[in-house]
Amino acid sequence: MPFLSHGSYRIRYELDGPAGAPAYVLVNGLTQYSELWAAYREALLGRGFRVATFDLLGQGASDKPTLFINQDDQVAALHLLVIELGDGPIFLSGISFGGLIALRYAIEHGERIVGLVPMSCFAELSPQLLLIGNALRTGLILGGTGYLQDLLLPMNLSDQWLKPLLDKLDSVKRQGWLVNDVYALQNLMESFLDFQPLTPRLSSITVPTMILNGEFDFLTPRPLHETLRVKIPNSSLVIIPRAYHAFTLEKSALTADLLARFADDVLAGRWQGNQAVWIAPDEPGGELTPFPAEYDHLRAIPVKRTPS
Amino acid sequence: MSGFFGPLESDGRVPRPQQTRVAAFLISAHGALARQFAFTLPARFDAAWQTELNAQFYRESEIVSLLMRATSWVPDIALGYMTAAWETAWLPAPIEGIADRSLAQAVHLATLAHAVHASIRPAALLPVEANGQDPFVVALRRIEFESGRLLQAQILYLKGPDLVPHRDAVSAALEKRHASVRKLWRETLESIGIDASRSE
Repeated sequence: MPFLSHGSYRIRYELDGPAGAPAYVLVNGLTQYSELWAAYREALLGRGFRVATFDLLGQGASDKPTLFINQDDQVAALHLLVIELGDGPIFLSGISFGGLIALRYAIEHGERIVGLVPMSCFAELSPQLLLIGNALRTGLILGGTGYLQDLLLPMNLSDQWLKPLLDKLDSVKRQGWLVNDVYALQNLMESFLDFQPLTPRLSSITVPTMILNGEFDFLTPRPLHETLRVKIPNSSLVIIPRAYHAFTLEKSALTADLLARFADDVLAGRWQGNQAVWIAPDEPGGELTPFPAEYDHLRAIPVKRTPS
Repeated sequence: MSGFFGPLESDGRVPRPQQTRVAAFLISAHGALARQFAFTLPARFDAAWQTELNAQFYRESEIVSLLMRATSWVPDIALGYMTAAWETAWLPAPIEGIADRSLAQAVHLATLAHAVHASIRPAALLPVEANGQDPFVVALRRIEFESGRLLQAQILYLKGPDLVPHRDAVSAALEKRHASVRKLWRETLESIGIDASRSE
């Protein structure tokens, strides 16, 4: 198990694939750990990419700072991993909290990457997200990691995914419960206490950016992704049909396919963000469909767009 | 070497030698916290935060009492010198950068309690097939859950405004205390055939 060193802390990472090949760096969500990207590793390696994953500080097998975790340190840890990859083209993607770290990386080290894919992401804490985050933190404090998982599972995954697992949810939760400690998750959550919105800095992201948002994402709904689409010049927003916040777990084959196609398009010079809005296919390999131009993609019912 | 208790007995119970040594370690750690909280408890409270000291004292005492009764003990000759080493480790250590003795004592107790509550996860040693009706299994789950709650007082204090001027000293003392507690816990587990490298 290789580690990078950031000051006195160790960051556990995994890196596979041929040196010099285009690379994908995948950044975990807050309660995740590196192994959850296994399906992406396999799919992207099969499409000729290198794949790098790691546990953020406070997660899994990386060191867990005891009292404070600064988001600057997460960006610095990610930068160490990017340096480890060398000079080949690097695509960066992250889910939720990991998407936020990826956005910060793109703002601060945009020259090191050739493409960005924020997924279920946000650049600022809306009142809803702030209050949900506070409630989740209270849940963690009062009920431990298991209770936090109990809250997140139904919020972030579909009935179709949950139904066959209802009688074995304990086994679904167990690995996350084993590798993540209450104090470390709490430190990760409390790294938002001095959070400054990234929105004013998003326009400095110049790399091609594909924003992925689940159709039914409750935790980080469409308006939070809309901020990214509007502010990042070379971006497009892709809505994943019938998907919730954790679509990277539920629809890994489709998401990995979208990542690979995005990278292929960027490398071939075909990518044009145009701040467009697309609807992803239901299955890997399907066609993306433009969101009907006359309708408002921020609404959940078919409402015609108000002329601006 | 597995990272869990075992091999379990036929009825899913944790082997008694493993119960004995883990319970002895936990009693030593939580017992030390109970004693130290007891010494800091005034006869009459004059500040709101002192009510938390009272709660911490009784929760720590409860953990000790629970383990005394829930553990299936066996004679363990190594416990003599192991307990001596553990008890020595819980003693107050100077906090570099904090000259005020009473403040240093408070930081010592908070960092020790943080390290014990945060980094010792006894329920994570239970394999899936552990007998959920066994009192030792239930006790470990209860201790880990309760530790997460007790920990909040230490987090609030150590991150709180009173210690902002000493933040670097506090962080360094806490990291050091975590490392020493994790080392003792790892060594204890390895002595009964459990690989605790995950907790390092």
